Amino acid sequence: MFEQLAGLLTHLGEKRIAVLNLSGFEIRFDVVYLLMSWIVILLLIGLALLLRRGLRQAVEEKPTRTQAAVDALLGLLKTQLSDNFASERLAVMMFPFIATLFLYVLLSNWISIVPYLSSPTQDLNVTFGLALLVFIVSHVLAIRHKGVRRYLKGFAEPYPFMLPINLVGEIAKPLSHAFRLFGNVLAGTFLVTVIMAKFLPIALPPVLNIIFGLFFGGIQAFVFAILAVAYINVAVED
Amino acid sequence: MDEAQSVVMGISGADIALAAKYVAAGLCMGIGAIGPAIGEGMAAAHALDGMARQPEMQGALLRTMVIGQAISETTGIYSLLIAIVLLFVV
Repeated sequence: MFEQLAGLLTHLGEKRIAVLNLSGFEIRFDVVYLLMSWIVILLLIGLALLLRRGLRQAVEEKPTRTQAAVDALLGLLKTQLSDNFASERLAVMMFPFIATLFLYVLLSNWISIVPYLSSPTQDLNVTFGLALLVFIVSHVLAIRHKGVRRYLKGFAEPYPFMLPINLVGEIAKPLSHAFRLFGNVLAGTFLVTVIMAKFLPIALPPVLNIIFGLFFGGIQAFVFAILAVAYINVAVED
Repeated sequence: MDEAQSVVMGISGADIALAAKYVAAGLCMGIGAIGPAIGEGMAAAHALDGMARQPEMQGALLRTMVIGQAISETTGIYSLLIAIVLLFVV
């Protein structure tokens, strides 16, 4: 029983690693999640192009359905950003970045409900890349807003002997950011796979996919984006 | 058949290590889930209190609650990672 279960699970963790050899440099990547990432990216671009076509109309006309839907989504994101960022200027500046992050993670989480496709976010490398992106953006913005001296001095606040604790805290941010998304998506996939293969393959998968794929996936994408906002906000303000 | 044989031939160290791995993964997940569960329940309870008192604040409370829950869930996710490492990597 245990061995069967373990065998069932390991096919999820099995890595199809491709090695690219560039004159001594070895680059290793997982083919499946790379492919899935590109599927998500192409889907996003395709959706954007498709939706853009529906938006070409005069302002005084009654809005079409697609326009209303896109307006609602963007309006939701905009109000969330201006509620959470310290200044309106920052919210406007960061809107494309956060919105892209949110849409990419959302579609990545949701794509696993399609049979034979798997979420790119259940690979730690993908989520860690996204978290690292947020980390770099927040620190570059902090340097630009505060200047190098005040930025470096910020690590010795409130007392100089707190420096190691502050440094560890800064490093822990992207780690927990990445692990949170990865762990949630992976746990959902594990549960769905185990229950589908072991117990009720007929009736349960749609329900489980709605709960773990759509609901938790949506919440985790939202939380990922809001935490990115919070990290940038904390880094920029004093 | 296998089990009968191993009882006859004695249990090797690898068997004990395997058993310990499964027990440890189960304990790790079971104990590790207690903290986040209590924390998330408290967050939801207090958010409900706030919503009952001020229904007009519902949106802001819900958002803050979800974020707080996701953050307090992190320790549970860490224990999940340890359990996965114990099961599939070690």
